Amino acid sequence: MFSRRTRFVLVALFITTLTFVILDLRGGQGPFTSFRSAMSGAVGGGEQVGSLIFSPFLGVANWWGTWGDQRDRIAGLTAENDELRLLVERSAADRERAEQLDGLLRVAGVGRYEIVPAEILAVGPAQEFAWTVTIDAGNADGVQRDMSVINGQGLVGRVQSVTKNTATVVLLVDASISVGARVAGSSEIGILSGTGRQDSLEFQMIDPGAGLDPGQSLVTFGSKRGRPYSPGIPIGEVVSVAGTAGQLTRIATIRPFADVSTLGVVGVVIRPPREDPRDSVLPDAPRASPAATVPSSILPSPTPLASASASPTPSASAIATPAASPAPSQEVERAATPEPSTGGTN
Amino acid sequence: MWARQTVLCTILVFAALVTQQSFLTRLGLPGATPDLLLVTVIALAFTYGPLTGAVVGFGAGMALDFAPSTAGPIGVVALIFMVMGFVSGAAVDPRDRNPPVLIGIIGLSCGAFVIAFAGIGSILGDVRVDWEQAPTLLLTATLYGGLLGLAVVPAVSILVGKITPEAVV
Repeated sequence: MFSRRTRFVLVALFITTLTFVILDLRGGQGPFTSFRSAMSGAVGGGEQVGSLIFSPFLGVANWWGTWGDQRDRIAGLTAENDELRLLVERSAADRERAEQLDGLLRVAGVGRYEIVPAEILAVGPAQEFAWTVTIDAGNADGVQRDMSVINGQGLVGRVQSVTKNTATVVLLVDASISVGARVAGSSEIGILSGTGRQDSLEFQMIDPGAGLDPGQSLVTFGSKRGRPYSPGIPIGEVVSVAGTAGQLTRIATIRPFADVSTLGVVGVVIRPPREDPRDSVLPDAPRASPAATVPSSILPSPTPLASASASPTPSASAIATPAASPAPSQEVERAATPEPSTGGTN
Repeated sequence: MWARQTVLCTILVFAALVTQQSFLTRLGLPGATPDLLLVTVIALAFTYGPLTGAVVGFGAGMALDFAPSTAGPIGVVALIFMVMGFVSGAAVDPRDRNPPVLIGIIGLSCGAFVIAFAGIGSILGDVRVDWEQAPTLLLTATLYGGLLGLAVVPAVSILVGKITPEAVV
């Protein structure tokens, strides 16, 4: 049906691809490491240029809509308008980038991580099921394989491979990832694995008898010499727990702090802190912090009252409110609780 | 002609790869990423025939396999793209091009890529393959592929006619 040449070329290409697949699947570094690195460098360069060209157009979806109205205006005005629009877009993007960088610096400062900041250049296609991104920091910046990648919210992933100026990061939610994690506030540890969905992770506790409640946060347990995961990085909070205490395995669903779909600026931890920062990097008590502060201000009411009696005039009015507020609320509670009983007797 | 054809194919494939990896993947469209690279390969196969289609598919697939933002085993995409380039080149007679059929082939190929990649991944024991996502990815990939085909097929055939007029019968 087809000519000899066609058949020969087809068979040759087929054998070549199979050879590549088999050699690559042998695992470890493989024979393609240097070749892949060179190819990645070339394509990564293209991606870098592409990212530069396309960055003004990302998120400017309504740009074309306004373009039609401006066509009938004077050409010079239109050009100037576009230029200003681009400038505004860019400054908004810059501001957002600065905010992300601020968050990253706060995390790195509190946890004493030494980081290299980087920006996302490209994202792996969704139909390959892998959650990977390319960042614009590489060997030349001190990035190496198996380093933790964080952002202002928490753990993002780890470095999978590095070229001179780019690195590939496997995100936390990738199904092939597993991280040793510790429940903040207790010393319970477990293994966290990605599910391939961007907003849920699975956490399996080592001690099935330990308690775990929705709302508790997880931090990384840390690996030897901080690779691939540095200790104390916030990961996410418990959304739901399946199974009861004492069951053979308990799986909890975790929502990661870092939103992998809106990544911008990330940081690669090139040196972990000398001592484990424990839970200090976690965001300020996400579990009902206002409810916790209100009773504590009301309970020690004897002391403010005593001080109020000592200095009556100016501060009395200020202190009168906390002293006054519990009394009506207690009355309301007392009034509210007997009502059903009286209703029942009548 | 060969030199010009090779240069044209290389430039188109590289441009499609870069646009896809640094622009289309970041648009955040629901479901699959519009597979501009595969659409370009098939559009080239329509004009140059099955043999060139297979070779271009192999090259484009290898480039995607080696791209730094992908992590699958090397060679899988090349294998699928090669087969699709060959089949779509063989299925269409360049002298008798029927646009709805061409767009249909492109859409179906983009959908078939999802199934083929997930199938090969499962056979090779890739833990990342999630069959629950496959129907969504399949539908969106087919849709996006067809839409891209509407723009890419005419553009490629105009370029081919300008740069290698001998190829157009």
